[in-house]
Amino acid sequence: MVAEQPWLYTAMAAYALATVIAIRGIVRARGGAVGAAVNRSYEPLVLGLISAGVILLVMALTERWIRIGHGPFVNLFELLMSQLFSLGLVLSVVYWRLPVIRPAVIVVLPMMWVLGIWVLLLEPTASAFPPTYYNKWLWVHVGVGKFFLAFSLMGSGVAGVILLRKISRLAPLFRHMPPDSVLDHVAWRFMLLALIFESLMLIAGAVWAQDAWGRYWAWDALETSSFLNWLLLGAAIHARLTYRIPIHIGAIAILGIFVFAFMTYFGTPFFSEAAHKGVI
Amino acid sequence: MISLLKRLSSIRLTLLWMALLGVGAALSYDNPVDTPAWVLVVPLVLLAINLLAAIITNPSINRRGGLLIFHVALLGIVVLVAFGRLTHMEAHLEIVEGTGFDTDQLIDIRRGPLHSGKLDQVQFIQGPYTVNYRPGMVRGLTHSHVQVPDGSGGWERKVVGDDRPLVLEGYRFYTTFNKGFAPVLTWMPNRGRVETGTIHMPPYPLFEFRQANRWTPPTATEEIKFWLQLETGMDPESAWVLDAAQSRGTLVVRAGERRVELQVGETVRLQNGVLKYERLSSWMGYKLYYDPTLQWLFLTAMIGVLGLAIHFWRKFAAYPWPQQTSGDEKKTQMPGHPRGLNVALSGLAMKAGRSERE
Ligand code: HEM
Repeated sequence: MVAEQPWLYTAMAAYALATVIAIRGIVRARGGAVGAAVNRSYEPLVLGLISAGVILLVMALTERWIRIGHGPFVNLFELLMSQLFSLGLVLSVVYWRLPVIRPAVIVVLPMMWVLGIWVLLLEPTASAFPPTYYNKWLWVHVGVGKFFLAFSLMGSGVAGVILLRKISRLAPLFRHMPPDSVLDHVAWRFMLLALIFESLMLIAGAVWAQDAWGRYWAWDALETSSFLNWLLLGAAIHARLTYRIPIHIGAIAILGIFVFAFMTYFGTPFFSEAAHKGVI
Repeated sequence: MISLLKRLSSIRLTLLWMALLGVGAALSYDNPVDTPAWVLVVPLVLLAINLLAAIITNPSINRRGGLLIFHVALLGIVVLVAFGRLTHMEAHLEIVEGTGFDTDQLIDIRRGPLHSGKLDQVQFIQGPYTVNYRPGMVRGLTHSHVQVPDGSGGWERKVVGDDRPLVLEGYRFYTTFNKGFAPVLTWMPNRGRVETGTIHMPPYPLFEFRQANRWTPPTATEEIKFWLQLETGMDPESAWVLDAAQSRGTLVVRAGERRVELQVGETVRLQNGVLKYERLSSWMGYKLYYDPTLQWLFLTAMIGVLGLAIHFWRKFAAYPWPQQTSGDEKKTQMPGHPRGLNVALSGLAMKAGRSERE
């Protein structure tokens, strides 16, 4: 076992426990008379566990950094680990600051589990740091990209609640949350934040590409995919302003945009030969 | 006129042209050589017309500062990119250590019809370079030493490489993986002028086993074949540094039936003259890129995002995020909502059901 693995496993255990406790708490709170007090005593524990997961991932990332000599920017194992950290960080802040949407955590955490399970299945092989990655724009590009993905995930969590409420057996789980019309606004608000950070990600990426490969844009697989993602988000925002899009269709659109972003991040660089990976 | 502009500004058209741009971008995925540029140009022009019309006629945009800045910046980016394509220049060059940049060295030149830079004023002298390799022949950092005019008649040393291009008169020179060795030879013909020059060998270590080239001296008829046997310290299993100063090369010269192995400083008499192997030098391949819009593009894009941020900031401030009433104590019955709801009736909740833009 390599140095970062014990930290990673414990972090994943913390996220898993947070998921279980959140689901149990929400299931228990689903009944009760209208107007009765809702038991939210489990929420600090969930917040504590997510935060613990984040700190443990910082340890895992640090251990790996020391072991292989560079940051988590190159292979899938380290990219997933780093995303689990940043998604958890944004989730914990949102969970802390916006109590009204806390139950959405039972949608968000399982979505993060896709990354969690994936990273646990990968070998923690050391990666080689390409010469063009010493550029400071890498930090900006990756940093703002993390916020883009995290805000899309938050939007998707809320959109997920809107959709799960359509299933009559699951609707009571979220009855302490605001009505769909409010959730719709909250979800899109996260997507608007995501748009800002995605725009910054494209700009920082272009500056880096100009330094690294002598061109700011060349429609490589990753560039095209993130541009389409940006365009899709822009189109969805305009469509929502122009047409009376039913709330649940809007929610599906948000999930679609998130899935697209997910594929861009974790699919394109590893399945396309000519993505950034190919030209480093 | 205004009614035409209004029609052109329709957001339905925006969505249509965005879809078209999406198709164009998807067709350009991975940059296939056979995808024509118009698949992107046409939707971009349509979007630009649509956006310009909206900026002029639609108060939803032109009365809201932040949003206006963002959309004007989008338009600006399209215009700048177009101008950049018309004025850009790209090329490749290979330059031998110790020699100066010359426009004659440029190959694969591509330039926009309006390109007019001061390339003829660009001067630099290529110095030595090193390239670090990690175990497994993984290329690491390149340090290419160059000398550039210091502005007061002298020369200034600079080190460039990888993501640090040499920028002169707006022209950006990027080192590439394309680099190799170049034996320096002096040709002393039986009759005529003595000449010193270099023979470019194929890229190293990419073509490690094909370090060969051929040359016919100006006054001779017989072609000379060269093969360079290198000792560079290359070790695929461990880290090493490619450095011409630390490398040695035996030059195998074949002319007609003759085959001679030359060390540095040695000569060989051939049919039409004498050839001397002076020393082992190297060449570096650069990519040249020029686009006068780069800084403006960056600035415009950043101002655009700032505008968008201002727009959202105002919007979010007008309708705050929904807040929970503290803990479990008090519940606020939301009109029209069947169950108890502990959400404070903040702006966002109050506005629920209405469009946020109102
Ligand atoms: C190219 C033609 C475009 C036109 C004609 C256009 C037009 C408009 C208009 C009229 C509005 C105000 C809508 C309203 O509040 O009623 C708007 C808002 C907006 N547009 Fe565009 N737009 C264009 C392109 C884009 C693009 C490419 C993006 C980004 C991907 C974008 C992002 C936005 C955003 C984020 C808003 C604000 C949404 C909000 O406040 O919730 N626009 N646009």
